[in-house]
Amino acid sequence: MVDVSRVQKELTECNRDSDISGVSIALHDGGSSITHLTGTIAGPRDSPYEGGTFRIDIRLPGGYPFEPPKMQFITKVWHPNISSQNGAICLDILKDQWSPALTLKTALLSLQALLSAPAPDDPQDAVVAQQYLRDKATFVSTARYWTEAFAKSDSTGMEEKVQKLVEMGFPEDMVRSTLLSVNGDENMALEKLCSG
Amino acid sequence: MGYDGAPSPASAAARDAKKKRGNRSSAKLKQCKLDARREQWLSQVKDGKEATAKPLPAGAGSGAGSNAGSPILASPHPPLPRRRADARSRGGVLEDDKEDAGATGQEVGGSDLDSPMHSPCSDNSRGGGCAQSKRCSSNGGGPSLSSVSSLWSSSRSVSDAEDDDTGSGPEEENGVLDDWEAVADALSVDDNSHCRQSLGTTMPPAATSESAPLANTSKRTEPIRSNARAWTPDDTFRPQSLPSISKQSSFPARIGNCWGMGMSAAHQSILSMPLSCPICYEDLDPTDSSFLPCPCGFHLCLFCHKRILEADARCPGCRKLYNAGSAGEGAPAPVRLSRSCSMGPRH
Repeated sequence: MVDVSRVQKELTECNRDSDISGVSIALHDGGSSITHLTGTIAGPRDSPYEGGTFRIDIRLPGGYPFEPPKMQFITKVWHPNISSQNGAICLDILKDQWSPALTLKTALLSLQALLSAPAPDDPQDAVVAQQYLRDKATFVSTARYWTEAFAKSDSTGMEEKVQKLVEMGFPEDMVRSTLLSVNGDENMALEKLCSG
Repeated sequence: MGYDGAPSPASAAARDAKKKRGNRSSAKLKQCKLDARREQWLSQVKDGKEATAKPLPAGAGSGAGSNAGSPILASPHPPLPRRRADARSRGGVLEDDKEDAGATGQEVGGSDLDSPMHSPCSDNSRGGGCAQSKRCSSNGGGPSLSSVSSLWSSSRSVSDAEDDDTGSGPEEENGVLDDWEAVADALSVDDNSHCRQSLGTTMPPAATSESAPLANTSKRTEPIRSNARAWTPDDTFRPQSLPSISKQSSFPARIGNCWGMGMSAAHQSILSMPLSCPICYEDLDPTDSSFLPCPCGFHLCLFCHKRILEADARCPGCRKLYNAGSAGEGAPAPVRLSRSCSMGPRH
């Protein structure tokens, strides 16, 4: 059984100063389940993720807070410790180093810190980690591009491109997945969509 | 029988005063003063056999006298009959012939019950009560004795009040107590008159001898009522043998809080940092806030601690394993820091 009262207090506590902390939590898609939440973190300054807003899927196991919450990036991120495929996170406090004294807020803040301080020696995404180690400049530009493309939902990014391609007659889900696969490049996505 | 035998107006006045005093003191006895002072006086009786041999029976005689006089003398003091009735109702039936004596002894039990809640000087905090007990016992006994007795008497007053009422027989306490009171009284009279005599007057004039016990009475009884002290350091009649110990107001709080009466509730909440369990966010009760299973000082409630012990048994604060010896049993031996030892029977 999830400790409902604790989670509710955590949500209140976390959202009280979300303007300052840059992290907030809400029920997933406005749903009613307190065990399925969505966290958002602001991309840390002086990092390739600056300006982006990253959404994180949070599922609370029955043993929470004695078991760690399951967290996964919904927003695509280019980061050595975050899977570029499915958003899985490699962070010790979400695994064996979890402590019941930690909270969803502190976990999200830890993710924020992870964005600004990648740990390529313990990678989740080997490709990104290799790029980070071998070609930092490319890594930074790619990460910045992904931030622009996926983490800025209200800028002229994803939604507009999706809208355009959908108007061309492609199914929306295919447009989205194609756009994601080409890192948001509209022309490449169109090319891919046309080629089948 | 020295003074009873002498038919001087002085001794009559002394006895009269003693009657009064016996009555009044029965109402004013605080549980905290008993042990140290009693022991002190009893030992003094043994030491000064010569000096006390005569006054002891005198005191007993005056006690007997006050038995008869007590109902009448008690009437001018409205609080006394009420309290005594109270004590009697708690203690059950009490025969008339030992009423006064019984009331003294009963009052021990009665004040045990009453004092934490009703006595005017301990109504503010239990810390105050403890300090008060310390104060009087520091006058009465040596350092070790006083600390022990203050602990004993205070803890008994707050936790074992009910047991005490029935447990220790009133008569048993009573006899010793009465003697002790009488001895204390007689001694001071004796000393005083000796002083007078040595100064040159062959027979103590009525005025001086009368004033001595009266002064003694007022000195003894009034302070006891107000703040339960026995002798002040500048007391004229303070025995020379009493050690002079400065008041250590912080001492009973430190020692006492191990027994749960050293701190007031307000004090507790200031000192024990978290008000709610950081794990389940429920309020910590005093037991929880004094519960420190890990040397790192991480507070948590007993429920969450048990839950953690059932899982990986690591402290949420420092991630170290809880003490292997205690964690294995599932019954941890909490490390108690003195500042947060605040388990109180009041709660």
